[in-house]
Amino acid sequence: MQNKRSIRGKVAIVGVGQSPSGRVPGRSPLDLTADATLKALADAGMDKSEIDGVLTGNAFASSFHRFSVALSEYLNIQPSFSNTLQVSGATAGAAVNIAAAAINGGLADTVLVACGDSLLTGMTPDMAIRAMTESRDQQYEMPFGIPVANTFAMTAQRHMKEYGTTSEQLAQVAVTFREHARRTPGAQKTDSITVEDVLNSKMVTTPYHKLDCSLISDGAVALILTSAEKAHEYTQEPIYILGGGEYYSHEHIFLMPELTQTGAVQAAKKAYEMAGVTAKDIDVAGIYDCFTGTVLMMLEDLGFCKKGESGPFVEAGEITYGGAIPTNTHGGMLSYAHPGIPAAWFHFAEVVRQLRNSCGERQVASAELGLVHTLGAGFSTQATTILGTGSTL
Amino acid sequence: MSEQKVGVEEALKKPLPTPDGDSQPMWDGFKEGKLLLQHCGDCGHVQYYQQGICRNCQSPNLQHQKASGRGVIHSYSVVHRAPGPAFRDDVPYAVLLVELEEGPRMISRLVGQDFDSLDFDLPVRLETIKVSDELFLPYFALNECN
Repeated sequence: MQNKRSIRGKVAIVGVGQSPSGRVPGRSPLDLTADATLKALADAGMDKSEIDGVLTGNAFASSFHRFSVALSEYLNIQPSFSNTLQVSGATAGAAVNIAAAAINGGLADTVLVACGDSLLTGMTPDMAIRAMTESRDQQYEMPFGIPVANTFAMTAQRHMKEYGTTSEQLAQVAVTFREHARRTPGAQKTDSITVEDVLNSKMVTTPYHKLDCSLISDGAVALILTSAEKAHEYTQEPIYILGGGEYYSHEHIFLMPELTQTGAVQAAKKAYEMAGVTAKDIDVAGIYDCFTGTVLMMLEDLGFCKKGESGPFVEAGEITYGGAIPTNTHGGMLSYAHPGIPAAWFHFAEVVRQLRNSCGERQVASAELGLVHTLGAGFSTQATTILGTGSTL
Repeated sequence: MSEQKVGVEEALKKPLPTPDGDSQPMWDGFKEGKLLLQHCGDCGHVQYYQQGICRNCQSPNLQHQKASGRGVIHSYSVVHRAPGPAFRDDVPYAVLLVELEEGPRMISRLVGQDFDSLDFDLPVRLETIKVSDELFLPYFALNECN
């Protein structure tokens, strides 16, 4: 049953911009995010004076606690709605959902949803990983030396045990996204890889090899959202928010109810119901790909395949062109860029471009409905957003 | 500049727990080789970690009771790349998700490096490891009869 109070079709993404990403030395997170914002404004054909709301995530390589407020000052804008959100990897989806709700609720007319960080060159790799690990509990998790990678690794290990998922099937996710990245200008990794290359890369934390893990990058993305009424005033075809859903099932990995089924089930259910669509209707997806196994579990929990069948699903080519659900056509965090919290913003940028039919040689034919699923902190935080062209309203 | 220096030094130190009002009895218990779990006097729920209220019925009527120290491996991952400089000398080590006999799960670490013997649902037993005079960490060892 559709919730009476809904954001379906009320708000659209009218501007998308991104800074250079990958290795971008000498540029601060604020600088990168401002760069992305100016490009998003140019993309929309909008003046910055129209932005009256700003939502961001935080940057590890920046000392500002209120990144959204610091970014506003940097751009010399004075919004009447602002927040710096923190739900780890799900911040991107949560920010888009909240921006849509804020616009629909009258708190703002036009919201900048942006994030940037310089994890690769703004910090040493050890400091970057350390920053990530510090998001685990200081009493009950971190003393045992459990990196965030390890929480995801333990869920993947259990998935392999319960469903017979193989290391080769995990590796196929990395290989597929690498092929996607090879078609995407600006991708950080574009050398072709094989399943054997993934299996032969250094072990990080079992079952994850180096090439099963996302990159470390610099970069920023900005999205501009406005009301459906105003959306036609700008240059680009508006891409509408059709549904949003989130779920927060636990904080500690040891309190995750089941290691092989996540809160993405509930988040997606809410988003699908609001949008009035099902997984079968989705043409293109952006799925948070911090690790290869994360994608497998999400394909199941988002309803693209049955529980336990994601391994064969990926091996059969279902997440690339011509398959059931072309996913991360930009290459994802595994091959395009992973600047930390901003990483999932790139999934939004790509799905919007796919729905605008502006992806050139990596265009998914007649894509009208898109899904972006972002998550974080060992599957603690989950946010789904359904996007669509005007024809889907 | 001095702030950055502190940052690097901090990164080389292992993150150690600072017990709070909820958890002090548990950390004291480890010093005596015991794992204390909270039992709810109202609904019988057994919980880890330590809170001021029962996670099942929100009652504050909680008592610490000594756990058997026995459990099984629900999942695990062998860490080969340290999550920061502080753990560089420890790798490789196995992080365990232990399901305790009393029901709750907890994050812990394997005593030793017998990774080839690791498997799901394998019995393990508590072994507290001294880190300092004030701090013992709860690790788990494979049962010798495995």
